[in-house]
Formats: sequence, structure tokens, C-alpha cells
Amino acid sequence: MIEIKGIHKWFGALHVLRGVDLTIQDGETLVIIGRSGCGKSVLLKHIMAILEPDEGDILIDGQSIFAMAPEDQDLCRLQLGMLFQGAALFDSLTVRENVGFSLLEHTKLSEESVAQKVREKLRLVGLSGIEELMPASLSGGMKKRVGLARAICNEPKSILYDEPTTGLDPINADVINDLILRMQKQLKVLSVVVTHDMTSAYKVADRIAMLYQGKIIAIGTPEEIKHSKDPIVQQFITGSAHGPITDHLEKETEPL
Amino acid sequence: MTQWKDLKRTVSIRSWLFDFGTGCLDIFRGAGGIALLFQEACVLLSGKKIRWKATLDQMNKIGVQSLPLVFLTAFFTGMVLALQSAYQLRLFSAEQFTSDLISVSLCRELGPVLTSMVVAGRVGASIAAELGTMKVTEQIDALKALAMNPVQYLVVPRFIAALFMLFILTIYADVIGMFGGYLIAVFKLGMGSHVYIQRGFKALVIKDVVTGLVKAFFFGGIISIVGCYFGFTARGGAEGVGRATTLAVVVSLIMVIASDALFSAIFYFF
Repeated sequence: MIEIKGIHKWFGALHVLRGVDLTIQDGETLVIIGRSGCGKSVLLKHIMAILEPDEGDILIDGQSIFAMAPEDQDLCRLQLGMLFQGAALFDSLTVRENVGFSLLEHTKLSEESVAQKVREKLRLVGLSGIEELMPASLSGGMKKRVGLARAICNEPKSILYDEPTTGLDPINADVINDLILRMQKQLKVLSVVVTHDMTSAYKVADRIAMLYQGKIIAIGTPEEIKHSKDPIVQQFITGSAHGPITDHLEKETEPL
Repeated sequence: MTQWKDLKRTVSIRSWLFDFGTGCLDIFRGAGGIALLFQEACVLLSGKKIRWKATLDQMNKIGVQSLPLVFLTAFFTGMVLALQSAYQLRLFSAEQFTSDLISVSLCRELGPVLTSMVVAGRVGASIAAELGTMKVTEQIDALKALAMNPVQYLVVPRFIAALFMLFILTIYADVIGMFGGYLIAVFKLGMGSHVYIQRGFKALVIKDVVTGLVKAFFFGGIISIVGCYFGFTARGGAEGVGRATTLAVVVSLIMVIASDALFSAIFYFF
């Protein structure tokens, strides 16, 4: 279980997260929606302890990730897998070395066993026979799937997805959505998906939370969010150019 | 009108002070960041396991691949040094000291400093660009997410490689520079081959060679840590990586020259 308690984050004068509270149960898929630049990815990086909050805490299975010793923090990170927005594959390593990175670095498994596990995970994401390719020779969709294979190679208890369908064509986007669902069914993992793609959100979510101006303003099942009476939520999920979100932005940018 | 002028002056003084303050903060932040990265690299160097395969790969990139550039720089510097010193020494009929001057100045000063400058331009830039690209494409975050300390994975191999390769490259630079001077002294200035070699070695004392090599060792550390620091702090896409690369080269050159002055003073007095 992941508990996010009153997270605040400033970048200089910019107050990005203004007291985010969320609880995600084991086996659940929570989708966090919100406009680009509203702090969704920043929130995911806090769960991974890549960024530290200025206020608040995050508990993983009841233990604060920020209060842990660096070694324990690393052990905790190995229980979490993360798919980055641009896949973030290491350019200088082959697909096999990328996917098997954590096994090669943190276990005493033989190269052959790691290669076997890598083949298995790549098959799970629908890619085979690309083990010796370099990331530069892969398409965007393939990179995301290799990134996903890397995230699940260590068989984590939770997977964090940062905009998994952004920049993909609709077919590849749906392939990724199916993969997320399959991970959930086969591995029974806790998933946190950050996205602004509503098709993807409705398809994979058990619950959807909307982040707006650094706070969670709505949370519920996909049906509850669809029928929300909040005009901000409605403008976002219908993708309308006119509404409270854009009115607020216009007011902020009006000449003084 | 007077009020407007006063206001303009106040605003410009305030903005100048703001720019000055921001610049000072950036300098102190940079100096602190470089010192902390150096400290962390040293701690990891003594504590955890070192990735020798990556270190050897970096030794190839930093050392072996810089050799042609170091060779050319040292060779021509040796030749120029022979010509320029002979030009001045001729005034005192002391051309036979050309060899002494070349060997001492190369070993004490020019060998380590010129090699460091070449390596700072070539390797410092490449380290900052590589790590900067990794930073802006979230690969450094991915390392953390995979429970790998980026300093241990990326900085330590480059740090060790630069320390030892600068040391070795400087030995090459000293020898090649003296060879360049030999060609000019023997074939152009008419100095005897035997005399050049004998005088050159006689003029050198162990301290000359050791001080030069100690400097080279430290310069290697400076170049690698500065390059890594600016790579790690790059942000804002391609433009940010370009800025980080330029800063890495400029700052490492300044630090190499400043620390050279410091080392020269220390070795002169002690």
C-alpha cells in the first residue's frame, strides 16, 4: 500500500504540489489525470524518492521512504518499477542489458539466467529477438515496451507509469493499455498511472484522481469521474477549450 | 522628469545588484556542488565495489583516444620552445642551455598544463555532454529508480580513469615534447644529438618530474569532477546540454590554471 500524506513541493518560487493526499491499495490501479505541467510526474518521482518533498511524507507498506537509510531506500525502490515518459533507456546499453539492469547489478544470477529472464519479460510485452539491439534503433512504441519490460524485470510489487501512451499512435497506445491491464491481471501489482489521455484512463483505472493546482480535487471510479458535477473535472475530461481552467489561466496572464 | 530619472537610476541599480547577487550565488552553489560531488566520489571510491570494466572503458576514451591530440600538441610545443629559447639564449651565447630549458619547463609546467587543457577541451566537454543528455532524458532518474547510485555508476569510473590517464598522458607529453625540441635543436640549431640528450637529462632532477606528475594527477580529478557536475546539473533540453558543456570546459580550464598557480607556489616554497 502507498500512502501519500500532505506532500508540498516548491521549485524556486513555483509551488507545484500544495498538499497532496492519496492512498493506493495493493492490487489497485489508480490513474492520476491533470493538465501538462501540473505536477503529476513530480508526484511519481516523489513516490520513487527520486525527489524529496519540502513538506509531507510517503509511506510504502507503512514505512516512510524518506526516513529510510539509503540502502533500505534502494531495497524499497527494487519493490517498485517505473516506466518513464520517454522510456529513459540507457543509450550505451543493449536492450538485454537495459531490461536486465537491476538483476545484473543487484543479484548474483548468472548472465545466462538473466538473459533467460530478459527474454521472458520481453515476450510478455510482445517483443522478441531484439535483445542485442541498441535503444537508438527502436521505435517510440518499442522503447516504451522495453521500458515496461525493464520496470517489471525485477517482479516489483508496484508499477508507476509516467504518461505511458503519450506520443504514441492510437494503436500502439492501446497496445500499452492492454499491457498495463495484463500486468495487473498476471502480476497482481499496485499500479499508479499518470496520464492526460482519457481513453487510456477509462480503460485501465480502478479509480481516477484529478490533480489541479497542486491538489487532488476529485477522486472516484471512472463512472463517478465521468458524471462529476465539478466544472473543472468536466472541462478536463471533455477536453473543452472554454471553462474554469482556461478562464483562470486567462486571468493570470492578463496584462497588468 | 527628475523623478523619472531618479526612478530609472534606482531600478537599474537594483537590477544590477540583483544580477550581481544571483551571479555570486551561482558561483558559490557551483563551488559547493563540485566540492560535494568530489567528496561523494572519494567516499564511494574507498567504500563500495568499483566497476572496473566501465573504468577501463573510460580509460580508453579519456586516455588512449586523447593520445593523438596530446602527441601533436606536445610535439609542436617542444619544437616552438626550442626555437624561441634558442632565439633568446643566442643573445648570451648560451644556446647549449636550450635542452636544459626544454626538459625542465616541459616536465615542471608545460607537460601537465598543456595535456590538461587538451583533455579538458576534449574529455571534459564529452563527459558534460554525455551526462547532461542522460539528465535531460531522465536516464539519471532511471538509474536512481533502479536502485543505482548515479555517482557510483557514472562519476567514479570517470574519476579514476581521468586521474590515472592524465598522469600517463603527461609522461607521454614530456617525452614527445623533448623529442620535438630534439629535432629542432639537432637538425636546425646544429646541436649535437648526444649533447642534447645528456644536458636534458642532467638538468632534470626527480623533483621536477614528480611535481609535474602530481599536478597532472590532480588536474585529472578536476576535469572529471567538473565535467560530471555540469552534466548532472544540466536542464532544459539541447540548449541546457550545450550550456553545461561550455561551462564544464571553461570552469575546468580556469580551475586547472588556478590550481597550477597554487601548486607552483607550494612546490616553489617547500
